[in-house]
Amino acid sequence: MTRAEHDTVTPADKDATGEIAQPPGHVEVWRGNEHSPVEGAPDGVITLKDLEVYYGDFRAVTDVNVQFGSKEITALIGPSGCGKSTVLRCLNRMNDLVPGARVVGTVAYHGVDIYGPDVDVIEVRRRVGMVFQKPNPFPKSIYDNVAYGPRVTGMKVDSMDELVERALRGAALWDEVKDKLKQNAFGLSGGQQQRLCIARAIATSPEVILMDEPCSALDPIATAKIEDLMAELAKTYTIIIVTHNMQQAARVSQRTGFFTAEADEMGHRTGRLVEFDTTEHIFGNPSDERTEAYITGRFG
Amino acid sequence: MTVRQTRRSGPSASGDHFVLWQGPSVDLTQQRRRMGERVIKAFLVGAALLSVVVTVGIVVSLFAPLTEFFSHVGIGEFLFGTEWTVGFGNKASWDDKSWGVLPLVTATFVMTAIALLVAVPLGLGAAAFLSEYASPRARKILKPILEILAGIPTVAFGFIALTVVTPLLGNIFQFNGIFNMLAPGIVMGFMIVPTVASLSEDAMSAVPLALRQGSYALGANRMKTTVRVVFPAALSGIVAAIVLGISRAVGETMIVTIGAGLQPKMTLDPTQGAQAMTGFIAQIASGDAPEGSPVYYSLFAVGSLLFLLTLLINMISIRLVRKYRQAY
Repeated sequence: MTRAEHDTVTPADKDATGEIAQPPGHVEVWRGNEHSPVEGAPDGVITLKDLEVYYGDFRAVTDVNVQFGSKEITALIGPSGCGKSTVLRCLNRMNDLVPGARVVGTVAYHGVDIYGPDVDVIEVRRRVGMVFQKPNPFPKSIYDNVAYGPRVTGMKVDSMDELVERALRGAALWDEVKDKLKQNAFGLSGGQQQRLCIARAIATSPEVILMDEPCSALDPIATAKIEDLMAELAKTYTIIIVTHNMQQAARVSQRTGFFTAEADEMGHRTGRLVEFDTTEHIFGNPSDERTEAYITGRFG
Repeated sequence: MTVRQTRRSGPSASGDHFVLWQGPSVDLTQQRRRMGERVIKAFLVGAALLSVVVTVGIVVSLFAPLTEFFSHVGIGEFLFGTEWTVGFGNKASWDDKSWGVLPLVTATFVMTAIALLVAVPLGLGAAAFLSEYASPRARKILKPILEILAGIPTVAFGFIALTVVTPLLGNIFQFNGIFNMLAPGIVMGFMIVPTVASLSEDAMSAVPLALRQGSYALGANRMKTTVRVVFPAALSGIVAAIVLGISRAVGETMIVTIGAGLQPKMTLDPTQGAQAMTGFIAQIASGDAPEGSPVYYSLFAVGSLLFLLTLLINMISIRLVRKYRQAY
């Protein structure tokens, strides 16, 4: 199966006659709100429509409508508890692992609702990879860490050695580890471990990489390396990053979404997407005063 | 108060004050006696020492009679002899008996191996279920129930081996006789399941959630995450759990005495009855062993061997635990 096929054809795309048909979960690509410049509008590789997330009875996020563009970096910013990580975790169904988590609305990947009844979560996660806040290499060798994804998803691989090398080169880690591939990954520094986690994520050839505050546990030098790497990866991959660091969002992303949480009259805080636009616009001339207050440091 | 000579830094000539300070001085010496602390410390030291002294005492009293025993029986004859007839013949005579301990060791080994064949898969399976699959509510109910199994008196287990499991197995595997090693081995396996399961579950639960998330994010399912990430990460604790299970099986007395009988027999056939090391000690110590008699000394020889075996297992375990320990 070629890369192009496995990226675009999902089981839901075919009906009984084998024809490519409009799947039931198909969502029209959302074309932005009045703030979104028409010029260069995101293509909606992932589109969220009326997204609401509950943890038990608690509504963590509501009313999120947004489309992400492919092969660019989108940053999600906002104060703590505004739901940006919650939204990110919906994009590859990592929220499934949280007991009591419930998603309402649509998360469409290539127009297919990934919460649809026929969707295999493993197929979703193979296409939408994730890098976490704290580097979390497995207690295995560097090689086995990178080979883990292809192995567990049963990817047909001609040469695992080649794949591992390509992934490590892609994560700008190859030169540092090529002589110690069989050593335990815990021997690496924090920054190297995080790049290993990026290599691990790209080893399964995903289309989208989600990053949940990938630099918050790293020192400035390691952070700079990861940011350079992200710019490089964005040529091939779609990157959506949650960050607390506004300078980082401004430096690396092409588009930014600003979330905030406001308490209702009952005192329940629910996160909302306030504004989504080009990073230039958000940081230079935000349309919403809450965004401006946040990025100028007046709250949050 | 005189104005002190000023220096840039460092203690003054008296060593008590930093000379730059010109304000009022304070008294930082001990202000009241703290007796309670001393009493507690003395008690804790005493408790630690007592356990060491008792251990040393046990070892000494176990090993001291060995000189007398080995002045009559060669070490080679004892360790490698294949016949053990210590319970027979003239009680006062050293010469009319065979002193080869191997039959007892073999029986212990066979029954421990059977127990592990039962306990390791069941224990690890239970641990994996409790840690990775069960809902928090199910775990809260099931784990205490599992641990109750560890509280059943071993004599009850022995009785079950003799009256329930042996007839059952006799029908299946077509053997007669009251005593065999299979039944006590299997029952002993069930006895150590809680040990293996509970400790392994602790080790698996201690594996950081981040590792599981990393695995799921790469498209692994629960089974693959459990087998390929959680197990290796918890291996150190799992090894420790299994070794503790082995130690319990090797030292277990009632089940093997009741289930496998009292006849020393050099065999690997689990359908045969054979006396284990602990079984021999229980038999002789509860029966007729005049102090100073050959049989009396043989108790110490077998007991010491059992002690050394357990010690060896524990040392191997410490090695393995260190080897597989992961720092997250």
